[in-house]
Amino acid sequence: MSAFAALSAANYKASVRDKTTVFFTFAFPLLFLVVFGLIFQGQEVAGSGRGYIDYIAPGVLSWGVGNAALFGIAFTLMQWRNDDLLRLIRMTPTPLTTVLGARYTGALVIGLVQAVLFVGVALLPMFGLRLADSWPLALPVLLLGVTAFLSMGVVVGSRANTPEAVAAIANSIMVPMAFLSGSFLPIDLMPGWLQNLSRALPLRYMNDGISAALTGSGDLATIGLSSAALAGFTLVFGVLAVKTFRWSNNS
Amino acid sequence: MTTTHATETSTPSSAEPTVPAEAAPAVVLNGVRKRYGDLPAVDGVSLTIRRGEFFGILGPNGAGKTTLIEIMEGLRQADAGTVHVLGMPPWPRNAALLPRLGLQTQKSAFFARLTAREHLATVAALYGLPATAADTALRTVGLTSQADQRVGDLSGGQRQRLAIAGALVHQPDLVFLDEPTAALDAQARRDLWQVLRDLKAQGRTIVYTTHHLDEAESLCDRVAIVVAGSVIALDTPHRLVGAAHAPTRVMVPVGQLSTERAQSLPGVVRVTVEGGSVVLETSTAGPTLAAVGDLVGLDEVQTRTATLEDVYLELTGSEPHS
Repeated sequence: MSAFAALSAANYKASVRDKTTVFFTFAFPLLFLVVFGLIFQGQEVAGSGRGYIDYIAPGVLSWGVGNAALFGIAFTLMQWRNDDLLRLIRMTPTPLTTVLGARYTGALVIGLVQAVLFVGVALLPMFGLRLADSWPLALPVLLLGVTAFLSMGVVVGSRANTPEAVAAIANSIMVPMAFLSGSFLPIDLMPGWLQNLSRALPLRYMNDGISAALTGSGDLATIGLSSAALAGFTLVFGVLAVKTFRWSNNS
Repeated sequence: MTTTHATETSTPSSAEPTVPAEAAPAVVLNGVRKRYGDLPAVDGVSLTIRRGEFFGILGPNGAGKTTLIEIMEGLRQADAGTVHVLGMPPWPRNAALLPRLGLQTQKSAFFARLTAREHLATVAALYGLPATAADTALRTVGLTSQADQRVGDLSGGQRQRLAIAGALVHQPDLVFLDEPTAALDAQARRDLWQVLRDLKAQGRTIVYTTHHLDEAESLCDRVAIVVAGSVIALDTPHRLVGAAHAPTRVMVPVGQLSTERAQSLPGVVRVTVEGGSVVLETSTAGPTLAAVGDLVGLDEVQTRTATLEDVYLELTGSEPHS
């Protein structure tokens, strides 16, 4: 078995054997989707002519995927460094890029499974999402979104030394961002200055891009801009990740 | 006359090794220094560890043992001096050297929620080896019956053995063990000694740190005692003990010999009463024992010679467990 395959298998087993992570990755975002979907069932957002579900489904999807990507790599990096597993890996001939590549591939697969699950539920008649023809374009946005949040997660996991610190930092990034970027509340209901502020946040672009592709709320330009913005965030956080990465806590 | 290379050549005199890598000593350090800020952690260490040697690094906490080992492993860069491991510099990360080194760290580093076998198979794959290497390593450390247990469910001793198995999965020439027997009970410690002796019997070089001086005395071919970043003693345990001239203690049951009489015997430097015995400290055990034998017979007499721990305490001026 190649190092890549073995690491992917180890990641997979560690993930499915941890029921808490499985819950927070799949069931927790679904809970938001179901609750908001039922509260605003059949309603339209005033002034936009679009149903609530057209906002909530892409919003919860983006947040759930981004959240899982960021938390997953941040916890893993912190834990591996604390347990000296990073040093063990460093003492093998396998390059770090293979190790991170296996995590990256795993995160993409998780994001894809999440997307299929969340969209599948939103398509149920009781929630009433209808897919636009452009829905396949959500895939590149999803991929770039996972990449951006993964690079943020590397920074968080490199800075934080305890599980508590990872949870605190990641939550204070993700929870305000979820609300400000319109994941739970339609962005069109927010005051103009908040809408402008949200343009500094990666989740806003992921929401916009996924929403444009899935529901037709935007055109190809929206999807292109979102993808470019997510690529830009990846670059910025990727550089930060390389700068903050540590092999052990005392170096 | 043969023209084959000797396997244990003299240490290289220059910074670059002139002997073929296969004949090079396991580790050669020359004037190695490392400081953290203003604090010198390693302060000019030079030593050579031979192939197949069981080499102990002893010293109080904070003496620089771990830093020294990390420099050998290539996990840290020395500020000054030269480092050669199996004839090659370990820093920067040397992919040609890595498969020949094995390390067990102080923390037990395992992949979360895997079984013992799955963990080792993953480590084996990182070395490009098949999963069968995991079973060999499990057998080596006697964990075959725990192969399918989750790493989190193993006992302390089993975790230590699994960590050592991780250092052996790729059959390295040189194994670094950082306090492998820390926090083990007496039985688990003795079990591990056998594992370590077997490793040495296979011809591997072992470099290890410990706080258990009885263990170092029993296992090590040579020990280096490190204090404040410097090697203050380096020799076989036997010669270190011999050179220290620590007194031998002769213990005679109270009542058989008065302290006054004991004081007058040849070689006796000090007499105390401890735990039901008159304790005679002597620098020349032979004449003292002969005299005691003449006076009271030797049937109930016990002797205790100096141990590595006595030498260590004398040299470091501290308790081994700080």
